[in-house]
Amino acid sequence: MVEEGSEKDSSFFLIIFVSKNLQMINSVRNTVLSVLNKNNYGYISPSDFNLFAKQAQMDIFEDYFYQYNYQINKENARQSGTGFADIKKQYEEVIDTFSVTNFLYHSNSNRFFVPNQLTTGDDYFLLNKVLVYTRLLASGTNDALGLGTLQDTTTDFQAAGVQVGDIVGNTTTNQTAFVSNVTPTILTLINIDGTSADIFTVLGEGYVVYDDAIVTEAEKVTHSKITMLNNSMLTAPSTMFPAYTQESTILSMFPVSINTVGAVQCQYIRYPRDPKWTYVNLLGGEPSFDQSQPDYQDFELPLEDEPTLILKILQYAGMSIREISAVQFAQAAEQKNDMDEK
Amino acid sequence: MAYLTTYQYYENDGNLPLDANWGSYQYVSLQDIVNNFMLMYAGNHSLVNNEERYKILFHAKRAIQELNYDAFKEIKILELSVCDTLRYVLPHDYVNWVRISLYKDGILRPLTENIQTNWSKAYLQDNDCRILFDEDKNILEPEYSGIDYDRITGSKKSIYLNQGSPFNGMEGYYYGGLWYFDYEIGARFGLNTETANFNPTFRIDKKAGVINFSSGMSGELCILEYVSDGMEGGDNSLITVNKLFEDYVYAYIEYTILNSKLGVQEYIINRARKRKGALLRNAKIRLSNIHPGRLLMNMRGKDKWLK
Repeated sequence: MVEEGSEKDSSFFLIIFVSKNLQMINSVRNTVLSVLNKNNYGYISPSDFNLFAKQAQMDIFEDYFYQYNYQINKENARQSGTGFADIKKQYEEVIDTFSVTNFLYHSNSNRFFVPNQLTTGDDYFLLNKVLVYTRLLASGTNDALGLGTLQDTTTDFQAAGVQVGDIVGNTTTNQTAFVSNVTPTILTLINIDGTSADIFTVLGEGYVVYDDAIVTEAEKVTHSKITMLNNSMLTAPSTMFPAYTQESTILSMFPVSINTVGAVQCQYIRYPRDPKWTYVNLLGGEPSFDQSQPDYQDFELPLEDEPTLILKILQYAGMSIREISAVQFAQAAEQKNDMDEK
Repeated sequence: MAYLTTYQYYENDGNLPLDANWGSYQYVSLQDIVNNFMLMYAGNHSLVNNEERYKILFHAKRAIQELNYDAFKEIKILELSVCDTLRYVLPHDYVNWVRISLYKDGILRPLTENIQTNWSKAYLQDNDCRILFDEDKNILEPEYSGIDYDRITGSKKSIYLNQGSPFNGMEGYYYGGLWYFDYEIGARFGLNTETANFNPTFRIDKKAGVINFSSGMSGELCILEYVSDGMEGGDNSLITVNKLFEDYVYAYIEYTILNSKLGVQEYIINRARKRKGALLRNAKIRLSNIHPGRLLMNMRGKDKWLK
């Protein structure tokens, strides 16, 4: 039994934590300015800071993957421990915070768009897993409209085996949703976060319904192999063992029968969003931090990387103001950090 | 893949065919094999790492093919009627034959493979024995070669003691209570047991994909027992492995990948090879199902008196 007071206390601490976490960018900026501002000539403007912050965040983000690989090699050499000494796990957790799972937009035939700002809302850094739903339960066009529903009076969804959790794709608009309730002719649809999904707003839109329980992972195959693979008796891609190739912003799925929206889902690592330190007005010549601005964006890295962020931004900023001692200080500190963490 | 409920097993959840899942518990699917291997034997801390799944799939299928040729003892059987062409077209998934029988009068009679050929290709020739070509310089062939024609029309003699034997229907003389026959010149010393079989004979033309029978098979039922490669016509969802061989298949995949990989130490390859061999032997012994109850029935006849 949890007492009311303790719930309040934990919520309070959560708010404090989130608030602190959300303001990491301000803390970083203050520290950078504090280090640079010796003799009052080390000021960097918010726009310069935002550029350096983006660069620094990207450096650290990319380094996670090298560090992750380094830790795996250490594990294989039995130079790594378990429990709190499991450094690899820490990197996994950080990388997983950038993990996103989305259905891919269908282009034409067996071609799908890779995740991007226009389709899934993110640019991807790495396609980790491409899943294929192979069991088509129903397809057709909607002949009635209702908020957050798919309606087709010519189909019996229950008889077709549609169940809660199955995937619905709008083949006209490329949108997807999940089934939350089934009647013979009406499917109630929700998004992944449980909110109502109103993806059928016009009559006569095409739809497909896939069984969410029958899913296989597609394997990435290089262009130098895919033709031979398709011609192979034993290993030609099948719905049980599908494959894909990538060309520019398009994924081509094999077998070519994988050709509708809702059939292909991708788990990928997105890029961190560009940090933006926002302000409202100048107080005594200083811009005042304001995180309520619509374009505000904090760092997306964990708190433990704040010192590294500061050191990296210091290097860029030091170069910017031609203060070589700041650059050297930051480089030395970063190297020491790296050595300590090996 | 989840385990089946008893209703799913016996009645296929009410779907047709109802017997789809009968006996399925003996087997593990190809999908499970590949999935389990990728999970348990491949990865950052395993001997096999950074291998494409299609390679695992290839080696898994090769293991299943090899097992189907002998170790599985999974014989497929097909009954077909032999028409007057005396030909039995091999099944679409045929790899090798085990036994070919004539089913007649309710009895299965195993047939003997003819030690001589009973079919041949032929070219048309002129009176000077020159081979004939058409205007496009393609060689001309008759519909049947001489030996085929004789076999199909029933005029070909056989070295076997069946209805094609030269002695079959030969007239003799009954004199003094004994039968006498006119044999060809030359002495005969007993019976050639290799050819002493009354049933029709056959030869397999592998490239043509047919079994050619002697004339006695015309209009008869033939039962072919054969082995396939277990690939089920390319339908991956139907490819299965007996559970007794599951561990062997993993060991086979691991060995073949390590064996073909650059820079793997020889002792690791040897370890994988020995493990693979040991698991195959174990699985074969298990599958042979030797136990006292089974031996007992065979041994019961050993002390029977011959009268």
